Amino acid sequence: MPSYKAPLDDMRFLLHEVFAAEQLWQEVPAFEHVSMDLVDTVLDEGAKLNEQLIAPLNRPGDEEGVRLEADGAKTPASFPAAFKTLAENGWVGLGGNPEFGGQGMPKALTVLFEEMLNSAGCAFCLYSILTSGAAFAINAHASAELKQTYLPKMYSGEWAGAMALTEAHAGTDLGMIRTKAEPQADGRYKITGTKIFITGGDHDLTENIIHLVLAKLPDAPAGPKGISLFLVPKFLVNADGSLGARNDFSCGSLEEKMGIHGSTTCVMNYDGATGYLVGDVNKGLAAMFTMMNYERLSVGVSGIGLAQLSYQGAVEYAKDRLQSRAPGSAMQGAADPIIGHGDVRRMLMTQKALVEAGRAFGVYVGLLLDQTKADDAATAGRADKLVALLTPVAKAFLTDKGFETCVLGQQVYGGHGYIREHGMEQLVRDARITQIYEGTNGIQAMDLLGRKVLQSRGELLQLYLAEINDYLESISQNTHLLPFAEGLKFAANTLEQVTRAIFAGVANDAHLPGTAANDYLHLVGFTSFAYMWAKMAEQSVGKTDNLHDAKVKTGLFFVQRLLPQVSTLAMAITQGSKATMALDVEQF
Amino acid sequence: MPEYKAPLRDIRFVLEDLLDSESHYSKLEGRAEFDNDLREAIINEAAKLAENVLSPINQSGDEEGCHFEEGCVTTPAGFKEAFAEYAAGGWAGLAAAEELGGQNLPASAGIIVNELLGTANWAWNMYTGLTFGAVKCITEHGSDEQRTVYVKKMVEGTWTGTMCITEAHCGSDVGLARTKAEPQADGSYKITGAKHFITGGDHDMAENIVHLTLARVVGAPAGTKGISLFIVPKYLPDTDGNPGERNSVYAGSIEKKMGIKASATCVMNFDGAKGFMVGAENSGLEQMFTMMNEARLGTALQGLCAAQLAFQGSLAYAKDRLAMRSLTGPKNPDGPADPIIVHPDVRRMLLTQKALSEGFRAFLYEIAFDGDRSQGAASEEERKAAENRMALLTPIAKAFCTELGYESCNLGLQVFGGHGYIKEWGMEQIIRDTRISMVYEGTTGIQALDLIGRKVLGSGGELLKGYTKEIHKFCQSNESSEQFKVMVEALAACNKQWGELTMHLGGKAMENADEVGAGSVDYLMFAGYVAMAYTWLRMAVLAQQKLDAGSSEEAFYKAKLTTADFYFKRLLPRAQAHATAAMAGAASLMDLPADDFAF
Repeated sequence: MPSYKAPLDDMRFLLHEVFAAEQLWQEVPAFEHVSMDLVDTVLDEGAKLNEQLIAPLNRPGDEEGVRLEADGAKTPASFPAAFKTLAENGWVGLGGNPEFGGQGMPKALTVLFEEMLNSAGCAFCLYSILTSGAAFAINAHASAELKQTYLPKMYSGEWAGAMALTEAHAGTDLGMIRTKAEPQADGRYKITGTKIFITGGDHDLTENIIHLVLAKLPDAPAGPKGISLFLVPKFLVNADGSLGARNDFSCGSLEEKMGIHGSTTCVMNYDGATGYLVGDVNKGLAAMFTMMNYERLSVGVSGIGLAQLSYQGAVEYAKDRLQSRAPGSAMQGAADPIIGHGDVRRMLMTQKALVEAGRAFGVYVGLLLDQTKADDAATAGRADKLVALLTPVAKAFLTDKGFETCVLGQQVYGGHGYIREHGMEQLVRDARITQIYEGTNGIQAMDLLGRKVLQSRGELLQLYLAEINDYLESISQNTHLLPFAEGLKFAANTLEQVTRAIFAGVANDAHLPGTAANDYLHLVGFTSFAYMWAKMAEQSVGKTDNLHDAKVKTGLFFVQRLLPQVSTLAMAITQGSKATMALDVEQF
Repeated sequence: MPEYKAPLRDIRFVLEDLLDSESHYSKLEGRAEFDNDLREAIINEAAKLAENVLSPINQSGDEEGCHFEEGCVTTPAGFKEAFAEYAAGGWAGLAAAEELGGQNLPASAGIIVNELLGTANWAWNMYTGLTFGAVKCITEHGSDEQRTVYVKKMVEGTWTGTMCITEAHCGSDVGLARTKAEPQADGSYKITGAKHFITGGDHDMAENIVHLTLARVVGAPAGTKGISLFIVPKYLPDTDGNPGERNSVYAGSIEKKMGIKASATCVMNFDGAKGFMVGAENSGLEQMFTMMNEARLGTALQGLCAAQLAFQGSLAYAKDRLAMRSLTGPKNPDGPADPIIVHPDVRRMLLTQKALSEGFRAFLYEIAFDGDRSQGAASEEERKAAENRMALLTPIAKAFCTELGYESCNLGLQVFGGHGYIKEWGMEQIIRDTRISMVYEGTTGIQALDLIGRKVLGSGGELLKGYTKEIHKFCQSNESSEQFKVMVEALAACNKQWGELTMHLGGKAMENADEVGAGSVDYLMFAGYVAMAYTWLRMAVLAQQKLDAGSSEEAFYKAKLTTADFYFKRLLPRAQAHATAAMAGAASLMDLPADDFAF
């Protein structure tokens, strides 16, 4: 596995120069206290922890994997101590509510820590991310009593969290779940059913695990409107906060997976387990939705974290590996480093251009999430809308491009990339799941085009395009930025035209959105990356130091070599749905 | 793992309808007769072997992997028995010469059989693929004695072969090889060195293993011109031709890999092993090159196999899995939800797999037919034309079919959602197994350099012109068709663009040598999409003819028309992005100093 070095310069460049994040945070009371110094300390300390403590566990964790023993699931031998250090230093509660012991850091900063954690070990990272996610939902929807009982222990990482949604027959379509919740005389519920694919459902990292379980009351309406959310702790908690009886549920088995071998993926059997209702009856799905924007952005960023490590490995190898003579070779040594070969550079530049734009986009969406907490209703409302529009893009586009980047990194290694020892193939295996969980990328695409663009009658997209147009206007006098402005304008115009065509076509073609969705999401993704590259170039042109010089060159590569895919996507979308829907099921 | 069902109907369509196999095989010289009945019989038998023997040990082979103890490799349960059945069936000698014990069928017969066996179990099939290469190489370049002693045994399936080319420090750049060969008084050579990534370097399925090894005779010129080829058997044949004394070539370890875990990838240590030179000294690389087209075509096949198997798995799942309702009203009103095949985005994934796997099959079989003709066509002119066509299309086939085959099996996994990520279903194994196909037998990047550098520019455009002219003629002869007007125009435009793109890159390459490498992969991918469009349009035109003639298989032929339409509308547009990127010039790739890639 390549050794990990956190890209701190790039992270600081984004927060301080490109987005001037501190200024935005000043306008949000919850984040007023976040200073530039604090940000740098968090990044520096986060980098140290990930580079030194977590990253060395990544390759061994994959080989050792997890196992199920009589007393529950066990993580790789080195995980429990590392998790303890992570927790004791407050990282699990980094974004948590300060009222209950969280650190109250903004999302635009926590995404960068999450990126590092994913680079250092995405299997390990999941235990922490799931805990933050469960705590987020509890903070948003649970009673004051539940919050007081559970949140401090979760933020401190003494207890972990898990989300129990999926059942064997119901993944994407949660309306079909069968797990039932029977009300008890004491106001609690008895939860019975089987959940699958429960990440961190059981493990040996913490003394308690708090499950958030979706289940149906006996008389609940059918479908998604009859689902409620329950807090189901592994150990019941006594009135004084100490741990009581073991609750009636257990891990039935662990899945054997393509990757993330260090992460437990559990079948969980709830046998009349005691649960506490979170939020209102039958509003379980809605409660899940509030945390979804945060979780989906985190999953998107995990794609970037994996891609970053793959890129680091590939660059190192390409500088080191000698093979054949490159054009214009100085003819020194037995052969030239392969970084001199045009096609190897194509792969490295693609990785670099995608990773850096992806990181920028993650921070950009993170800042929008932070702005949803602004006092000013107009600012918050606008941010809410852009978050709704861009979250599915962040989840799907960053993971699709993250996977592509990992595959390229492996390709740079040639045959050696296929050998486990080097770790490059592990990154591909680990990255593959990010395109699936937290809503498959196909579901994200439908969410974007169906719910966000079409249902809002284009309002959300217009808001985004207006921002881009205003930005283009603001840089129109800067001749150094011409190629970036042209690329962005081309992409934004294409997006607008394609969207018009879909609005015009959908009345007569109900399948048009479904057949267009995946390409459409990528079109928005490329446009967003062009926007990010323009913003990064704006802060870099005219500066001669290496970091800024490299930004301009990499941005030009993106505009010239990758952005042309916009036309292809537009062509495919505007062909209509017939080509995709015409075949009878039996003709496949 | 999806249960494999050989796609016999589609194979028949490609062979009989598209490629007119009856006429093709009847015209070949120097090969045994291969009429329709024999062909059907062989394909049916191969399908049985694939479905009943090899497919059931595909997933178990991945789980168990190969074992390595004290220098010996043991293959997973069932592999040895399957190999014995394969050998007994005479499959190892399908295309080998009769005097060497083979059946002398046209080489394309081997490709077709390989699709079936390889889809059922690629890791297992690797052992046979390498043996074919060794057979061909010794048959063409070895002495009579070497043919008698080594080839016959491999043809009867009791011995297998390997290719020992790569060393730790040299993969793509074989000229850096260090393994040395010292001439001995008895005319043999003493081979010393270590070779890496040797597929089938040791195993327990055959009584002897013939290592074809590249090494440098002491005092040979540096670089690629000083490399010779040697036969280094695991056991030295005794005077009766049976395995005798153990030669000092040993597996030092086996690699732990992402996939094809049942295929032993060995580090081979040659400790002064006895070797016998094949052909002339210092011409080892050329000899290897003569079998490169076939080996690369064989690897291109892996893209087809992966796409086909993943498609079968995800199609069955998509018909079975219920989730959500169709946007145009319930399609399974009595059930709790509709099967996911009704959802447009799932269809996008299925149709992409279908269009690619069927397109690959037609494209690759036709190249295999070119291979047949390059050796057995009646006139020198025809042979040369076929050879040129194959030379041009082979790097495209190798890189394009494996890159998009990999995409296809990723789509197959995606259709399964979270279940695809679980080992039990086997969909993730297809991805892991297939990932290597873009790397071995020359990476995608190397194929692209071969295409544009050696084949297109190296022939002064000759090879390309032969193919684009063929497409041009096809477009002309179909330009009056109302039904296919849009597709014909799209293909003709792409074909013209191919020439322009070539001129553009060729011109720039003269000014700056970096331009070739900087545009090469995008150029190759563009070419692949155009070749696939040509293939699909011909299939569509043919399907319409069958329908017009009143075929009883209306659904089958209509599906061809629909899939061609999908290819042209949804996949062919990608060619444009590749063309634009290929034209973008080297600067955007080469400007960044190596030290500025990461901070």
